[in-house]
Amino acid sequence: MEMIGHGGKEIVERVMSKDAALKRVAEMQAAKVKTLDVRLQMATEIIDIAYGFFSPLEGFMTKADVEAVCNNMTLADGKTVWSIPIVFDISSEELEKSGIKQYDEVLLTYTGNPFAIFDITDIFTLDVKEVAMKVYGTTEDKHPGVKRTYQYKDKFLGGKITLLNPPKINEPFTKYWLTPKQMREKFKEKGWEMIINHQTRNVPHTGHEWLMKGAYLGAYGSMMVDKPRGGILVNAMIGEKRPGDYIDEAIILCQDAQGKYGYFREDIFLTTCTLWDMRYAGPKEAIFHACLRTNLGCTHHMFGRDHAGVGTYYDPYDAHRIFSKLPEGSLRIKPIFNLDWWFCPVCDEVTYSGLCGHKDKKASFSGTLIRSIIQDGVKPPRRIFRPEVFDMIMECAEKYGFGNAFVTEDYLKRRQPVFTIEPLQ
Amino acid sequence: MAEEKFPINIWINEERLAKIQAAGLADMCKEVLAGLKVIAVPATAEQRDKILKIFPTAKFDAATTRSIENLPRQIKDQIFDLVIENKSVDVVDEFLKSVEK
Repeated sequence: MEMIGHGGKEIVERVMSKDAALKRVAEMQAAKVKTLDVRLQMATEIIDIAYGFFSPLEGFMTKADVEAVCNNMTLADGKTVWSIPIVFDISSEELEKSGIKQYDEVLLTYTGNPFAIFDITDIFTLDVKEVAMKVYGTTEDKHPGVKRTYQYKDKFLGGKITLLNPPKINEPFTKYWLTPKQMREKFKEKGWEMIINHQTRNVPHTGHEWLMKGAYLGAYGSMMVDKPRGGILVNAMIGEKRPGDYIDEAIILCQDAQGKYGYFREDIFLTTCTLWDMRYAGPKEAIFHACLRTNLGCTHHMFGRDHAGVGTYYDPYDAHRIFSKLPEGSLRIKPIFNLDWWFCPVCDEVTYSGLCGHKDKKASFSGTLIRSIIQDGVKPPRRIFRPEVFDMIMECAEKYGFGNAFVTEDYLKRRQPVFTIEPLQ
Repeated sequence: MAEEKFPINIWINEERLAKIQAAGLADMCKEVLAGLKVIAVPATAEQRDKILKIFPTAKFDAATTRSIENLPRQIKDQIFDLVIENKSVDVVDEFLKSVEK
């Protein structure tokens, strides 16, 4: 099976077999190699790197990569499009205390258990304000991506990663987390030649549903209809949460409910998740999503209005326009651009703004608006929000959210982590 | 040009509907989105910014609806009660004063 990912490079899993990992850890411990315990942010990206979600990256970026990303939107090779820095930060104090030097091989642990090998090839500093401006287009720390950038410690380590100890993905995410290789095997099994990715960090309303249906019909084109030759991949971003967001469990199970309850035929619909902390970088994040979904094996990627934006930092269609600035052939995935879907009381349906002639009567709705309706204790009508999805939200609130479908401080403290790294035995 | 107003959408659940009917203010609701009842309480840009500062979970949906959303339910209940008491939707000033106290 073809395993070619973004940049035309083969997807290579940087994951050691269990026997080899046990032997390697024992050797490293006997040799008293330096160790570092990583936090959740880094652990998440180590997993993504190791399984090829970020292919062709084989590790955390060096300074040359970060500079190329910021200045040219490419990796250091000057050719491969890349828009978001993937960096490993460390404080000067930690660096001094650990004694880590360039070209060291470091044993990374997570929650105290052996996790990965980090071959350090670069130790560097960054002007975080400059990075923020070039990636996010602002230096305001109100922007969540900028805030994250400013929270980085003062030094950075670049180099390759090898995973020693695969994550245990906890329920209810277990069946939804597929590696790029597994994802491609699944597509082959389903006989899909066309795979349209729907990026989400939300519980679906019918605007999302129609966005997907519109993209499917548009992209299906002149392929034969004797059997389903294409499908929709809902790939939910599961990562850092902010109070008021939907809980992760509700996002994944409600997305899946659209297939389970027949709003999409199950043979043309697949729900999965990827571990990623949204940066809300708008157009730059749209490019990143395209690269990531290329690695998953998708052929098309939907980009709606205000894709991955936040506040008023980006024009609603900046995430469309940026694609026209890329050199021809630099992406192996086709963007599908969408305008709004709104509810039209005259058509009496959710309809596409590019088709509906009743703009003055339209009622726009968004994920935020629907969240507000649900928070007020109101069940939205089925034309706006599917009742089975609503019921699933309520079930998730009880089962996973300590009575709340939205992220609270309590949920953040008490929730079961999405993944754990268990002792290597 | 008239100053743009940013609504706080108070969605009408059963409890609120009962209060509205009891106060004889049913006409104040409008129907949107295939039959949902809502009272839109207008806020100025200055009031909106104050609200967003006081309530960190609140969000201004700048991209789509240009409304102030995700205020905690009990806060919306307070605003709703002011609407009923005053028989008017122009209550944001009074609400902010009570919160700032």
